[in-house]
Amino acid sequence: MNRIPLRPAARTLQIQVLRHNPHDPASEPHLQTFEVEEADTMTLFIALSEIRERQDPSLQFDFVCRAGICGSCGIIINGRPGLACRTLTKDLPDRITLAPLPAFELIGDLSVNTGKWMRGMSERLETWVHSRNLENLDIDTVEQAMEPELAEQLYELERCIECGCCVAACGTAQMRQDFVGAVGLNQITRFQLDPRDERTDAEFYELVGDESGVFGCMTLLGCEDMCPKELPLATQIAFLRRRMVCSG
Amino acid sequence: MTSHPNRGPARADVLQSLTGLLLVLFIWGHMFFESSILLGKEAMHWVSKMFEGEHLFGKPYPLLVSVVAAVIFVLIAVHAILALRKFPGSYRQYQQFNAHMGALRHADTTLWYVQVITGFAMFFLASAHLFVVFLQPDNIGPYASSDRIWSGNFWIIYAPLLVSVHLHAGVGAYRLAMKWLPIPAASSRQVRRKLKLVMWGIVVFFLCLGSASLATYMVIGRDHAPYAGERYVPGKSQAPTGEH
Amino acid sequence: MQIIYTDVLVIGGGLAGQRAAIGAKRRGHDVIVLSLVPAKRSHSAAAQGGMQASLGNCFGASGDNEDIHFADTVRGSDWGADQEVVRMFTHTAPKAIRELAAWGVPWNRVARGDREITVDGKKHIISEPDAAHGLITSRNFGGTQKWRACYVSDGTGHAMLYTMSNQAIAANIPVHERMEALALIHSDGRCHGAIVRNLATGELLAYVARATCMATGGFGRIYRVSTNAIINEGMGAAIALETGVATLGNMEAIQFHPTGIFPAGILVTEGCRGDGGLLLDGRQHRFMPDYEPEKKELASRDVVSRRMEEHIAAGHGAHSRFGEHLWLDIRLLGADHINNKLREVKEICQYFLGIDPVSELIPVRPAQHYSMGGVRTDHRGESPQLRGLFAAGEAACWDMHGFNRLGGNSVAETVVAGMIVGDAMADFCDSQAGKLILSTALVDEFGQKQQRLLAGIANGNGSESAFELTRLMQETMTANVGIFRHRDRLEQAVSTLQELQQRARNIGLRSAAPGANPELVTAYRLQRMLKLAQCVAYGALQRTESRGAHYRADFPRRDDLNWMRRTLATWPDDEAGLPTLDYEALDIMRMELPPGWRGYGARDYIEHPQTSARQQQIDGILGDIPDADRHARQQALMPFRHLLPEHLRNNNERQGEEP
Ligand SMILES: Cc1cc2nc3c(=O)[nH]c(=O)nc-3n(C[C@H](O)[C@H](O)[C@H](O)COP(=O)(O)OP(=O)(O)OC[C@H]3O[C@@H](n4cnc5c(N)ncnc54)[C@H](O)[C@@H]3O)c2cc1C
Ligand code: HEM
Ligand code: HEM
Ligand code: SF4
Ligand code: F3S
Ligand code: FES
Repeated sequence: MNRIPLRPAARTLQIQVLRHNPHDPASEPHLQTFEVEEADTMTLFIALSEIRERQDPSLQFDFVCRAGICGSCGIIINGRPGLACRTLTKDLPDRITLAPLPAFELIGDLSVNTGKWMRGMSERLETWVHSRNLENLDIDTVEQAMEPELAEQLYELERCIECGCCVAACGTAQMRQDFVGAVGLNQITRFQLDPRDERTDAEFYELVGDESGVFGCMTLLGCEDMCPKELPLATQIAFLRRRMVCSG
Repeated sequence: MTSHPNRGPARADVLQSLTGLLLVLFIWGHMFFESSILLGKEAMHWVSKMFEGEHLFGKPYPLLVSVVAAVIFVLIAVHAILALRKFPGSYRQYQQFNAHMGALRHADTTLWYVQVITGFAMFFLASAHLFVVFLQPDNIGPYASSDRIWSGNFWIIYAPLLVSVHLHAGVGAYRLAMKWLPIPAASSRQVRRKLKLVMWGIVVFFLCLGSASLATYMVIGRDHAPYAGERYVPGKSQAPTGEH
Repeated sequence: MQIIYTDVLVIGGGLAGQRAAIGAKRRGHDVIVLSLVPAKRSHSAAAQGGMQASLGNCFGASGDNEDIHFADTVRGSDWGADQEVVRMFTHTAPKAIRELAAWGVPWNRVARGDREITVDGKKHIISEPDAAHGLITSRNFGGTQKWRACYVSDGTGHAMLYTMSNQAIAANIPVHERMEALALIHSDGRCHGAIVRNLATGELLAYVARATCMATGGFGRIYRVSTNAIINEGMGAAIALETGVATLGNMEAIQFHPTGIFPAGILVTEGCRGDGGLLLDGRQHRFMPDYEPEKKELASRDVVSRRMEEHIAAGHGAHSRFGEHLWLDIRLLGADHINNKLREVKEICQYFLGIDPVSELIPVRPAQHYSMGGVRTDHRGESPQLRGLFAAGEAACWDMHGFNRLGGNSVAETVVAGMIVGDAMADFCDSQAGKLILSTALVDEFGQKQQRLLAGIANGNGSESAFELTRLMQETMTANVGIFRHRDRLEQAVSTLQELQQRARNIGLRSAAPGANPELVTAYRLQRMLKLAQCVAYGALQRTESRGAHYRADFPRRDDLNWMRRTLATWPDDEAGLPTLDYEALDIMRMELPPGWRGYGARDYIEHPQTSARQQQIDGILGDIPDADRHARQQALMPFRHLLPEHLRNNNERQGEEP
């Protein structure tokens, strides 16, 4: 009689997935419900893998690192964007609705083409260090010094994993396809701050000084609240806005 | 010319915020003056005369009020035209935003929508009010205003305008802070929480103040209804006052 | 089938692949990069702790140079590495880090003045000199004499990969994402590109190239418990193996990382221990000094992992619902340090364990982490058997890691190898040998073979489940080809894997969905993964000694007499159940550092007679040039600079070192 159960009986989760396979002409978007026995420390990664292995092998989703660092697994979880791999089912109600991130091209079911979007953003905003001396770099001599605090500050902004949650959480991005999103604006501030990048504010203005850039942002702050890496997006966008207004 | 970046978007953004800020400051001030009725008819009369410049020039110039009304109208017009660019441009966009907001259940996103709706409402309500103020600048005073509100049924405009303008101004002011202020990243989340608390405090305060004034105007207006059109003359005790 | 032509085809968008692509592109060649996932999501992004390069800037790094880095790496490899390659690597690593610094990586920097550090569980105050202020700093890592791991908080790989990817975008290098190479096109010992499947649409394409580079990373997913990403299934190594011509080197050399969080296996960086974290057992006793008085928690990974498993086996583990584990204690580092320098670790603990490492212990147990083996290449990164096929990064056995790689040496390898291989591919394309000569009939033939294979799986109505077989393979590997290996267990693994290979021919798919079809992907990858797993298991069975990460409980000593050899695996007959193993001798008489004790771990090993002969020779050579500087002495023992591209041959300047 000393077998007192330690935990309440395992729940059966009802996982509703918004399904659609654009490569199948017969496919229509629809919700499909799967039942999964909840296990200890179960994440949505584990739950979805289980569904694929045991119930429906055609279910599409993206995981890579399953550790919350690569940004592959952004999906809409009960209405809000988040990283599926580090979302524990114990923090969710019995009924879980999963949908692909909006604003990105759908590949199938929960899988969207964030990679293409991000590459487009990078190309458009030229998110790399622009410096004339990169052509004939001398890599035999001691590196340029940099203030330790500045280096840490740059990393703080570089922690973005391009998961797309901020874009999915942004009403502006829902309405304007060409809006670069908090992810793009944040990256611009990162390079703006970097002394190695020789671009002037006027040049940055060319990149983000319009309605598809920083002036399109309506300060909805969904980005800041739903960024899984907790980047200081509001602060950065405000900073960029001031800089862009003052430049030129 | 091509080498010069297009400053338009930057200017537009600043202008939108600037007009918004001025309007916010105006409306908050406006509420205090207009609520002077709570201190009695005498006070309200004094304030209205002040705006006509009587205390300065010894003689009222109602035109001054018209000028201010015109300036405010221009501010609103500029602000609204700039804001219009942010409105959902098509039914599709409207639907997308709506669905997004519904799913996200996110306060700041919803508040923006509140701004759009209240802004849209003010487009009509504020215009009507300003129109009256502009055309009849001399028709402001404890009795004149009360009559307009009660006998002229203007409370039907003022009540929704009151709610709209304070939600819009409160949220707008909070948004201005988040949009422009250099808040350190480390404390950004705490500062934001505080700002939001302050915002709600201000909104509630003004809604209470406004409701009380509106109620007072209405009570005075009801009692004064039989004499509607008659002007308040300070010092002179007139037929039915607030107390029966 | 669509055919896409390019000069250089790089398979893999991780650090190695993209650096190689940039190198070839700069030399004026067209490059296309293929990747299973968007390039920035490659597993290089997961590297946390650091990148080794002997800059010698900070307090604990002072006096560091290529020579010490070389010795550490060779000892770490348990003398399994190619010493010339190690020299090329340690010489180029500082250049790689400086290049990355200029490209934008926000390396953490030295701050002048006093600061507190944690060593051996105690706090010390050290002082950084003015002259080093603002230069790249470094942290302590296992198996090294100096603090050499340069880092960006604990997101080193992320910062490196983003900078690298952005430079590749700047260089206008197209990355074809969600593309999987299924087979190499080859004839007469020459590689011509690859047959590729579009993972979004299911369509097959051919990429025809003069030079092809395999930079597909590791294959940790043949194990059940691994720190690797779930895409690390070793398809690059596998398709090289399937040519039947190219060889895979040292596949049995698998590294287990001491601190995978338990039970998920997600990694927390070695930086935790490097910065002063301790390992505790079930009674919260610090046990590593009992086993390894010299390096304690910071012996090399193979040693620490083994000691941990040994300690658990002796009954000292902590118990949990999921089994036994040990504790990692970083509380003593303080909230400030953890919040700034170990942020990702903190996040991982928070999200996956629900604990705060500032005040709580982290449950850990060793997990599969790295594959030292891979596509065997020469020092230029080209396969000796298949011309035009190059390999770089974790997918390669360039062989600078031997039987155990040091923490931080891997991301360093990816970039250095990328620099060297990029040039080598450009040279190849420029040469007569690099001319494109093939018929489209050959391309079609390879394409059709893959088409048939896929159709065979899709239409087969067998009874086996691909998911189930994959799980069985992973469990077999974790149970039988883990940290402690033994003949019986290995034989068991080999026969189970053979059985699984048979069963895998009888897979039935439940889903015929057009497009991506993830079940089909699992099925075709399984067959290839089984081959890799067999190379590991069978190679481990044959190697009757213990070296580095390969530990045979029944042969616990390193045996230089019989095993100064690198394992080479080929798979010439597709139907065969086992790889063909061959061995390549490591020549002690050419070594700069002849075999000896590593400075940690077991002291006894079976010596090779050439060891003392070579040592005498070395003493003689050095005795003849007593006044020569360290570069000249090194040059006299084992010249290597001629092996490097010309622009990488110069000496590295250091703060405070005489030029
Ligand atoms: C959790 C973790 C932490 C680590 N920390 C450190 C550290 O601190 N320091 C250190 O030095 N090392 C560390 N390592 C090791 C190091 O990160 C890797 O060895 C290294 O990044 C591998 O880089 P790569 O370029 O070879 O391969 P990856 O970065 O793995 O890239 C492989 C690429 O190949 C592509 N690919 C694979 N197969 C195919 C195919 N069939 N067709 C097309 N494309 C394909 C993938 O899409 C991907 O783009 C760590 C490893 C792990 C797992
Ligand atoms: C007819 C009238 C009005 C309309 C249509 C309107 C509309 C809007 C809209 C849509 C926004 C959001 C803009 C954005 O997110 O970029 C906004 C912002 C704002 N509004 Fe109004 N508004 C009107 C009147 C007013 C009035 C009367 C006030 C002051 C009391 C005001 C103060 C503000 C403020 C402070 C902001 C924030 C400014 C910013 O974000 O830059 N608005 N308005
Ligand atoms: C020059 C410009 C303005 C003047 C002189 C003015 C004056 C007044 C006066 C005298 C009243 C009392 C009622 C009345 O007499 O009708 C009033 C009420 C009110 N005004 Fe204005 N007003 C101006 C602009 C605005 C604007 C721009 C707004 C909002 C957009 C506004 C919102 C209101 C509201 C909501 C009330 C009702 C107050 C309550 O409920 O207590 N006013 N205004
Ligand atoms: S800013 Fe945050 S939410 Fe946006 S892509 Fe980067 S990590 Fe994701
Ligand atoms: S949610 Fe969108 S509107 Fe601006 S503040 Fe964030 S980018
Ligand atoms: S799978 Fe990498 S972040 Fe979720």
